[in-house]
Amino acid sequence: MVDDLLLRAEGLSFRYPSGTLALEELTVDVARGSVGLVGANGAGKTTLLRLALGQLRPTAGRIEVVGRAVADDPIGVRAHLGFMPEHDCLPPDQTAADVVATLGELSGLPPRAARQRASEVLDLVGLDEARFRPIGGFSTGMRQRTKLAQAIVADPQVVLLDEPTAGLDPIGREEMLTLVGRLAGFGISALIATHLLDDVQRVCDHVVMIDGGKLRRASATRALLHRTGAVRVEVHDGAARLADLLRAAEVAVTLVDDATLDVRVDGDDDGRVLDLVRDGADDLGLALQAMTTRRMSLDELFLDELP
Amino acid sequence: MSARSLPGGAVYDRGYRPYEGQRGGRGASRAALVRLSIRRALGLRRSWRQKVLPWSLLGIATIPAVINVGVKYITRNTPAADVDLITFRDYVGVSTTLLLFIAVTAPDMVCPDRRNRVLPLIFSRPLTGNDYVLAKVGALTAILFGFGFFPQVVLFVGQMLVVEEGALDFLAENAEVLWQVPVAVALFSLYWATLALALSATTTRRIVGGVALLATVFVSAAVSSILVFAGGADVENLFENGSLWGLLNVLEIPLRITDLVFLGHVDPTSLVGGAEGAGLGVILVYAAVVAGSLGYLVYRYRRVQ
Repeated sequence: MVDDLLLRAEGLSFRYPSGTLALEELTVDVARGSVGLVGANGAGKTTLLRLALGQLRPTAGRIEVVGRAVADDPIGVRAHLGFMPEHDCLPPDQTAADVVATLGELSGLPPRAARQRASEVLDLVGLDEARFRPIGGFSTGMRQRTKLAQAIVADPQVVLLDEPTAGLDPIGREEMLTLVGRLAGFGISALIATHLLDDVQRVCDHVVMIDGGKLRRASATRALLHRTGAVRVEVHDGAARLADLLRAAEVAVTLVDDATLDVRVDGDDDGRVLDLVRDGADDLGLALQAMTTRRMSLDELFLDELP
Repeated sequence: MSARSLPGGAVYDRGYRPYEGQRGGRGASRAALVRLSIRRALGLRRSWRQKVLPWSLLGIATIPAVINVGVKYITRNTPAADVDLITFRDYVGVSTTLLLFIAVTAPDMVCPDRRNRVLPLIFSRPLTGNDYVLAKVGALTAILFGFGFFPQVVLFVGQMLVVEEGALDFLAENAEVLWQVPVAVALFSLYWATLALALSATTTRRIVGGVALLATVFVSAAVSSILVFAGGADVENLFENGSLWGLLNVLEIPLRITDLVFLGHVDPTSLVGGAEGAGLGVILVYAAVVAGSLGYLVYRYRRVQ
């Protein structure tokens, strides 16, 4: 069902006027829920968010958000979105209540409702007492929470969060992740662009990995972590010969020492790989001493995905 | 309700309520941007310091009208009763306070949004760059119209009440003013709003935006005057002796547009007085300034930064 998708990209490319190719032929379906958009700095995450908002026009391809083609109706799409930019974007001379209410009005809420909603969402993010203070005196954590409050003030279907924990200390980060993790419970899907894989692993049920503007992987977080990992194989001797044999069968192998190697297992073909290890050891006359499964973290997986 | 103490505050869990009330579309967002821009410019819902400048300037701009009405009242039974210290035509935009107000307000409307990088937040709403430009121009035009029109109302109503011949006779004698003033003030307001916002949009610093406007006004006035007088105009007697070089004066254009609204021709004692095609030239330059300023603003806000 297309309407169940948070975002759909088909052959999506974007080249900046400077010539930089930020996205290249990106095709991906992203389900609703909390989705981590993962990539290194410059991977194209912010560009994808701005394309989703209709602030940039694709060089090629198309993008849909909540079932609507952005190119056909960017204004209509934005009516369903909230956006939290990475950079500082709040006027320091205004109070949090004024800023959030103002942006609520700009989202189409009547003035009275906007003020009421601003009060509610600022309470929600823990700024009830500080909301009448000028933002110029806020800590980084309070500013981030204000940015999140303005993103959800109009009760959007989807929020696009660009590096929501950037610059936060451990406590601030914990608070922000707690808030972001609760959005799904409010009926708000979140697309969270970040390079902090720990954050994604904690709050996202889906992961989209991009690098150099290209899609590397898109999957449910749990499935990705569950299915993907390595098996540490210990043999008495001759690990190098077993590694060569497995490599010949196009299995990714890392030789640890003469008696140990890590064999990459990935998704559906893990049974085949384990059979190859067993049969290969038998063919080479090696005594298999141990096979231990080790799950990868998202960090390892991401680094592993890089070319 | 649960609470969790944290350094610098506490997160109170009051839950989340989806919004199920009325929700406007793009039109509501545009109207909100106009309303919020006007509110900010007038210092409404801001500290008293932000209110001082706009409201005292409005007060100062109204003083000539009050004095004129007072003089009319004092001299109502004397031969001096027919003498006007200031006419409705003169009163459109001659106030230096209005120029100062524009130089302060226009940069305040656009510079902070760019300087504080608020534009990505604004343009994540159902608004485009064109909406932003139209809202800002509309807001400043409306404020300038109010500030230009209110003193005229004081002047008109005040005179109507104090003149010897009576209110109805005054109204009948000055019926044309009832359309001339709003039209002239509206054209004046649109001109300064677009020009001032375009100059302000070139920078992120309010002070630079204000100085840019004042510098444009004074430099253009000086250059234009030098060229006009170098062409043979006599300082003592400009009558029928101006030249089209006067069109270079950005201060002159809206005043001559006002002439066209009130008189049907440009004031012969002005810098362009007596020049061949002065009226058409004024209209063309007016249109070019407004269109050029709007074009620049649309170009400037075509992309979010």
